[in-house]
Amino acid sequence: MEDYKFLFKIVLVGNAGVGKTCLVRRFTQGLFPPGQGATIGVDFMIKTVEVDGDKIKLQIWDTAGQERFRSITQSYYRSAHALILVYDISCQPTFDCLPDWLREIQEYANCKVLKILVGNKTDRDDREIPTQIGEEFAKQHDMYFLETSAKEAENVERLFYEIAAELIDQARRKDGTSAVNKNSMDAIGLGSLGTKASQNSCCSGFNSNSNQCTS
Amino acid sequence: MSVFKARVKEFEDALAENEIDLSYLRQLCFNGIPDVKSLRPRCWKLLLGYLGTNRESWNETLTKKRALYRQFIEELVLPPGLKEAHTLDARNGCLNDHPLSEGAESAWNIFFNDNEFLLQIDKDVRRLCPDISFFQQPTEYPCDIVVNSNGERRLHQRVVPSVLKAANVERKGLGITKINLITKRSEETYEAMEEGQEAHWEVVQRILFLYAKLNPGQSYVQGMNEIVGPIYYVMASDPDPDYREHAEADCFFCFTALMAEVRDFFIKTLDDSEGGIKNMMKRLSQMLQERDLQIYEHLKSQELHPQYYSFRIQRDQILQNDFASNVKLLQNYPFMDINVVLSKAVSLSYENCFHPH
Repeated sequence: MEDYKFLFKIVLVGNAGVGKTCLVRRFTQGLFPPGQGATIGVDFMIKTVEVDGDKIKLQIWDTAGQERFRSITQSYYRSAHALILVYDISCQPTFDCLPDWLREIQEYANCKVLKILVGNKTDRDDREIPTQIGEEFAKQHDMYFLETSAKEAENVERLFYEIAAELIDQARRKDGTSAVNKNSMDAIGLGSLGTKASQNSCCSGFNSNSNQCTS
Repeated sequence: MSVFKARVKEFEDALAENEIDLSYLRQLCFNGIPDVKSLRPRCWKLLLGYLGTNRESWNETLTKKRALYRQFIEELVLPPGLKEAHTLDARNGCLNDHPLSEGAESAWNIFFNDNEFLLQIDKDVRRLCPDISFFQQPTEYPCDIVVNSNGERRLHQRVVPSVLKAANVERKGLGITKINLITKRSEETYEAMEEGQEAHWEVVQRILFLYAKLNPGQSYVQGMNEIVGPIYYVMASDPDPDYREHAEADCFFCFTALMAEVRDFFIKTLDDSEGGIKNMMKRLSQMLQERDLQIYEHLKSQELHPQYYSFRIQRDQILQNDFASNVKLLQNYPFMDINVVLSKAVSLSYENCFHPH
């Protein structure tokens, strides 16, 4: 049995072409694939990192940005511990779509999901979105904020390590009740369908039992 | 009014509301959905979140999703030769794609990679639910762009096993040569249909193929066939022809919704994690130990591990049987009232929630 302390699921969302796949590949494989094609549906990669001496397994779901795959990508939101919302700092429309993405997140994700706003492509010199604007947007919507460059490997490691650290913190705060600690034995998942429904009213989505399994 | 009729009416009333009360409907469904009218396919679509609780939204949802599914078929179910090779070539100005290309974006390379999981799907759907003949039957609503494509969009044609004919030649003393053609086929599986028609198993194959294409991180794992089969059967047996016609698309999205719930069981790298299958079986065996030590010890002494008994168990017989008969027993689903099992499961999980160990 592989030895790790926590397993976290991280889902990347955002418009097509903002660099989600490149961020994931930079982080998991250390490369920047030029001419990366459009992602179809939802792919995933795994990387184990070490934070404060603990081995943490990150399962990173890379989603297609194109509208037509939305009904597939939505089905991954709910089990996510963290959602990275990515835009391209050199492309205003990708920033303008952020409110739409937040609505999606609101509708399909767990209400306690960790949200991170990422402005990617800082290597480009045709910036359209000043850092401050991104920062403010993140603040307004209760998200963490970071600017990255998958191409130059800038802030990419930091992004994922900080998410890992924050999720560990959250899990520890919840103490033994954490569902992400693989040793804990509390009731989760389908086994408890049909019960406890009254406890969570803050999440929408078809399964009213959503938070107990992922939070 | 008979009890049955009263029960049907409860369902009809619940479904007739403009804003459907999902938790009430879930309660009704828990004891089984009467097998009349379109009750079951309708309820499943609602419980899986494919249809919203607002009736007025249904038409729009269905039209949109069905059109989207058709687009998936058009784009993803075709061999590379048919795909207009403009995307890559125009951009990179490189040589045309070719069957020996190993480039990650080569349509041919993707095609051959896809065929690997397609081969597994093919094996699994050709023997889906063999107790009923349904999946071998032709569908009334074959997918026109597939069945009229001269086989080019027929998925199973990509992975047709080709067998070289062989014969045993025996020569007896007097110069008599006996040739035994080997005609024995390994296993009986479902046959494909002629041009213009397709069988239900071919439709299920396409659903699973598209699911694997659209969820490359997860792809196809054996066992998904057993999940999609009943959903498709229910959708494709809808007495309402307007719904039956779109069974494939509706089933795809219902299946996608259900997989979102059980996804972790189908991801190998998660087997050992909290929500993974091994951990689930470990919890099951712990629960068994707490609740029924006798059977637990008995299974343990015969080295029958949780993976053998997690899916089916007949307590009393297992206690009497020896190892060999138990192995045989555990390979077949016992006849049982599933509602008894589900009710017990709910009451156990209820106890666990309030008296956690």
